[in-house]
Amino acid sequence: MTYASASIPAVAAGRADRWPWFGVFAFAFLILSQAIAIITSPADRDMGDLQKIMYVHVPAAWTTFIAFFVVLVFSLRYLWKRREKDDLLAASAAEVGATFNGLTLILGMIWGRPAWGVWWTWDARLTSTLVLFLIFVGYLSLRAFVDDAERRAEWSAVVGALGAINVPIVYMSVRWWRTLHQVQSTPSSMDPAYVLGLRLNAFAFLFILIYFIRQRYHAACLQRSTEHAEEMTALGGQQS
Amino acid sequence: MTGQNLQFVIAAYGVTWLVILGYLIRVHRTLGRARLEHARVTGAQPGASQ
Repeated sequence: MTYASASIPAVAAGRADRWPWFGVFAFAFLILSQAIAIITSPADRDMGDLQKIMYVHVPAAWTTFIAFFVVLVFSLRYLWKRREKDDLLAASAAEVGATFNGLTLILGMIWGRPAWGVWWTWDARLTSTLVLFLIFVGYLSLRAFVDDAERRAEWSAVVGALGAINVPIVYMSVRWWRTLHQVQSTPSSMDPAYVLGLRLNAFAFLFILIYFIRQRYHAACLQRSTEHAEEMTALGGQQS
Repeated sequence: MTGQNLQFVIAAYGVTWLVILGYLIRVHRTLGRARLEHARVTGAQPGASQ
């Protein structure tokens, strides 16, 4: 079995100098998007100001889905090509995705308390989102506990690919089952007054996601490169 | 904005920034440690292209 790792140092080199500026842009865009959304959108007739939580809750959920889609793509690619950088990219996306997944759950609870009168209910959407979160916490735990890099990559690729299958279940849960959670909020299903704020914040979260995954991936490449260098040194020491 | 449910809106945005900035700090620390460790093992300068 080939476990291609020779490309890691080259990946670690990358074009890192540009990324801090992309990070500054992403955070500035997020601040601006939130300001525009809060200032320009009128209070909802039924929910009042509570509607403004949508500008963080919905983009956080979409970002979670995108991150786990990245996990799916690069996990499958790893299983196919056995390239270590695919494993590292999937793992980086899983960590960032789990963070946004946790944020989505917390924001849903903050919204649920005044809207539904409860912090939590075992509704299909909430439960499937929690299951998705637990799968990726398990994925990250698996990576932390398996020392052998090749085995860790293979097992986590399988768990990552299977875990990401839960994403369409989470997305469709509000249509497949009778749930307390309303059907997805999309620009086509809401008042035009709220569309600009939602679109801007969706892009802002996407930019933050790209920045986080890239930085985490860069760190992961350096860590693996260091491990390879240490292994080579140890092997050289044994041979001499 | 009216005062109705305002504390929940503030809490939501507060938690969002707490999580995002918390992860930003975490990923920067991880990257900083990885750079230093890589430089120590390979003998390269931490700021240089590895």
